[in-house]
Amino acid sequence: MIAFIQALIDGVLVGGVYGVIAVGLSLVFGVLGIVNFAQAEFMMMGMYAAWFAWRYLGLDPLIGAVFSFLVGFGIGALAQRFLIQRVMNAPHVSQIFLTVGILIVMENAALLLFGADFRTVQTPYQTQSLQLGPFFVSVPYLAAFGMALVVSVALWLVMARTWIGRAIRATAQNAMAAGIFGVDAKRVYMVAFGLGTGLTAFGGGIILSYSSVSPTSGAQYVVLMFTVVVLGGLGSVMGAIIGGVAVGIIQSLSTLVMPIQVQNLALFVIFIALLTFRPQGLLGGASR
Amino acid sequence: MTRSLIIIAVVAALALVAGAMLDPRGYVVRVVCLMLLAASLGQCWNIVGGLANQISLGHAAFFGIGAYTSTILQLRYGISPWFGMLAGAAIAGVVGLLISIPTMRLKGSYFALATLAFGEACRIFATAATGLTGGPQGVSVPFLGNSWTMMQFRGAGPYVPILVGLFVLVSVVFAILSHGRLGYLLRATRESEDAAEAAGVNTLGVKLTGSAISAALTAIVGTMFAQFNFFIDPDIVFNPTSISIRAALIAIVGGVGVLTGPIFGAVVIVTMEEVLSAYLSNQAAGIAPLIFGMMLIAIVLWKPAGLSAISFSMRRMPS
Amino acid sequence: MFGKSILAAVAGIAAFGASFEYAPAAEPVKIGVLVPLSGSTSQFGINTRNGVELALEDIKAAGGIKSLGADVELVYADVPAPNAAAAAVQRLVSQDKVVGIVGSFVSSTTLAASEVTERLGVPMITHSFADQITSRGYKYIFQVSNKASTIGQKQFDYAVEIAKRAGKPITKAAILYEDTAYGTAQAKGLRDAAAAAKIPVVLDESYPLNVTDASPLVNKIRASGADLVFPVSYFNDALMIIRTMKQQKLDIPTVGGAAGYIVPDFKKGLGEFTEGVFSIAPANYDNAPAIAARYKAKHGMFMAHEALMYGAAFQHMVKAIDEAKSRDPDKIRDAIAKLKKCDGFSAGLPGGCTAFDANGLTSVAFPIFVQWKGEDIATVYPPEAAKAPPVWHGKDVK
Repeated sequence: MIAFIQALIDGVLVGGVYGVIAVGLSLVFGVLGIVNFAQAEFMMMGMYAAWFAWRYLGLDPLIGAVFSFLVGFGIGALAQRFLIQRVMNAPHVSQIFLTVGILIVMENAALLLFGADFRTVQTPYQTQSLQLGPFFVSVPYLAAFGMALVVSVALWLVMARTWIGRAIRATAQNAMAAGIFGVDAKRVYMVAFGLGTGLTAFGGGIILSYSSVSPTSGAQYVVLMFTVVVLGGLGSVMGAIIGGVAVGIIQSLSTLVMPIQVQNLALFVIFIALLTFRPQGLLGGASR
Repeated sequence: MTRSLIIIAVVAALALVAGAMLDPRGYVVRVVCLMLLAASLGQCWNIVGGLANQISLGHAAFFGIGAYTSTILQLRYGISPWFGMLAGAAIAGVVGLLISIPTMRLKGSYFALATLAFGEACRIFATAATGLTGGPQGVSVPFLGNSWTMMQFRGAGPYVPILVGLFVLVSVVFAILSHGRLGYLLRATRESEDAAEAAGVNTLGVKLTGSAISAALTAIVGTMFAQFNFFIDPDIVFNPTSISIRAALIAIVGGVGVLTGPIFGAVVIVTMEEVLSAYLSNQAAGIAPLIFGMMLIAIVLWKPAGLSAISFSMRRMPS
Repeated sequence: MFGKSILAAVAGIAAFGASFEYAPAAEPVKIGVLVPLSGSTSQFGINTRNGVELALEDIKAAGGIKSLGADVELVYADVPAPNAAAAAVQRLVSQDKVVGIVGSFVSSTTLAASEVTERLGVPMITHSFADQITSRGYKYIFQVSNKASTIGQKQFDYAVEIAKRAGKPITKAAILYEDTAYGTAQAKGLRDAAAAAKIPVVLDESYPLNVTDASPLVNKIRASGADLVFPVSYFNDALMIIRTMKQQKLDIPTVGGAAGYIVPDFKKGLGEFTEGVFSIAPANYDNAPAIAARYKAKHGMFMAHEALMYGAAFQHMVKAIDEAKSRDPDKIRDAIAKLKKCDGFSAGLPGGCTAFDANGLTSVAFPIFVQWKGEDIATVYPPEAAKAPPVWHGKDVK
């Protein structure tokens, strides 16, 4: 029983972070209808951005993640404006492989610029945990989860209360109608994409606080990210957060009954089953 | 179609001549073999990607099944890979069918994601099932010297006719599917699934058949790869980037749905890989794949709506 | 008579002059270096390159290959993944005309590459340690390190020995390993050694290399009640495991399985918590202080074991070519097999030499135990190789 609750605690905490890195992907799909295979590379980019902020400005990555957001937003918006916009109406094959190309370029650009070695940060709380009875609550995970919550609330507020949030939602629903009301779809796409990549980059910054970064760090999270998003419903922001927590819990609990080696296998099986029986995910609307 | 088949025949003849005339233990012959393997893989993908219009990113699953089935049968029971190949194809065909049943209804990117996950699931399974596959340490095809019955040779040269045969086989299958009744139905499904359904086409059945055939053929390519390389492990044969995505790329660069597409794709991609590796190996790490990625982006942007459209205009409509 | 001596003198001078003519004119002997220079294991490939280049400096300083009167030239081929290996080897042999190859860190790449070198009849020396490398009955592959299962065995045996000497014998062991060939093979060695020592293994789990969360692993360690942990990891996973153990105040002695535990980044990542962490290693720089100092001066960090080992492998191959007096790969192969080289980089390996048995496996090397002390890694066991005493639970051990 103790093991179960401990696993639950760990799963929820780490799941919150999964949610934040996946929410960007969900947003991009929801608004632009594109599955961005390069999304995990923005996470890697966010990790590097936070690392440099830590190294040269002394910022804790949880704060430096804001800088990551800005970098992710900027580069994402540019990528959308100059590359992705061109395949907005192209067949899926083109969209997929354009983003695959971007993935390859980003990973190897990072290798060229930063080298292959792993970089980590050292923070005072990295090896601390809170002890609640027989349970350990990892402080870095807790802090990361806290930031994930903050950002989720912030995102919700932006989407619900600001003009740009409304414009994004309107364009997602019906670009032409939104256009009639004066919303420039191209601008919205650019901002929405940037927001999506920025959020994932932000998540990367948070993750850096307890992990390490190298040019291939993105690959670790790719399928996980997609599972989260499909679980929560491609296009649903709230769904991504919940999906993240769900994936975290599944991963964690599965280790109690199965060898850790196959924890991702369990995820994939669930992933495929979901796509088969409920492709809109737990919270998504009609499948696109 | 005749024109395309003639091109295939010419390419096959050229490859055979090259194989016969070049140093059988040399580099160029090996590159020719790599191109033939790549073209065959791309052509298999083309069946699903081109005809059924489903972007599969999980073909490594079938490739790996083929490679491991024939190798395990050989290691444990001494069965020749010629038979092992057929066993692998049968298993892969069934697996392909089974995975397609739930996923074929998915559209575009959803299907791509599902197949990607499936390929990865197979890789993890192969890594974990140490008793069956030898686990992450991989297995080696035992070297018995030059042997036609066991499909293995010291140099790359003797493989050429076998690989040419493979490519011709896969291409002929593609041509038959594409221009036969099944192809007609697949194209109808692709044009407008709803209309086809209304006209009584069993769109699902049609896609499933294409999928099973593609899977079986991919497994055969996998077997030949294992015989060519001698060493396989789950990360090599079930690899999402170097097998699955590459298979799709080969077909895409050449032209999705086009019979001669994979030839062009294979030549371009293998040449690029070898040239970049040969000249940029000791330069700044990462330059070679970076250039590759940039070229991919350039290719996609140069003909964004057109990667399929080119193929469409080149293919003759059935009368 | 006078004329004859003048003739003899002229002939002598002419011959003398002619011998000078041949020395620089011979084409350099090319040796291929097959390592990952891009991709996720590129750090190791770059370290290897650094080591081989340093070894080349010494070879050049000694005049290259004297018996052939030729220089040595390195040709690099980047193999980020095993599927690039076969074509790269073929290219090195057929296009670049290398007479031998050293490489390539990752065992699966070495396995794939050695299939081609065997068939083409070109010798290859590696430091990769998957058991299969030397158990295929191949004649052209040589391994300067011990087998993975041997390394795993020693990892266990040394730890048990030290614990006993410290008066705190091990009663329960936990084995944790990443699920690639490296981790799996070494774990088998650990397991077998534990069985032989009759020490129960209370946890025996593999995990995916790209694991994103180490908590389940550490929870299991805690629950198992083990008093010694053997994690076989690369860097990122090692970092997460050790940090999480510290978070949960798990103060169990940890014996790493090489790879992630003996890279400079480990110290950078864990800071003070690196102190006292043990690892098994195939070699360590403190056995070659002069070379290590040059390396550090040049690259700013301590010399990784692969740099030392591939430097040694390379120098062994060059010496073999010199002894064979030939560019024929078959003759070079025979010379490599016969040669026992105990100077240069080879002296820095445990055992002090590079030499091979009939299967191509090292006949003299043995794994060593290393421990982090401050910024450095010191060899602490076995006693004949130790440069400092091991510290167990904070106390020096005799």
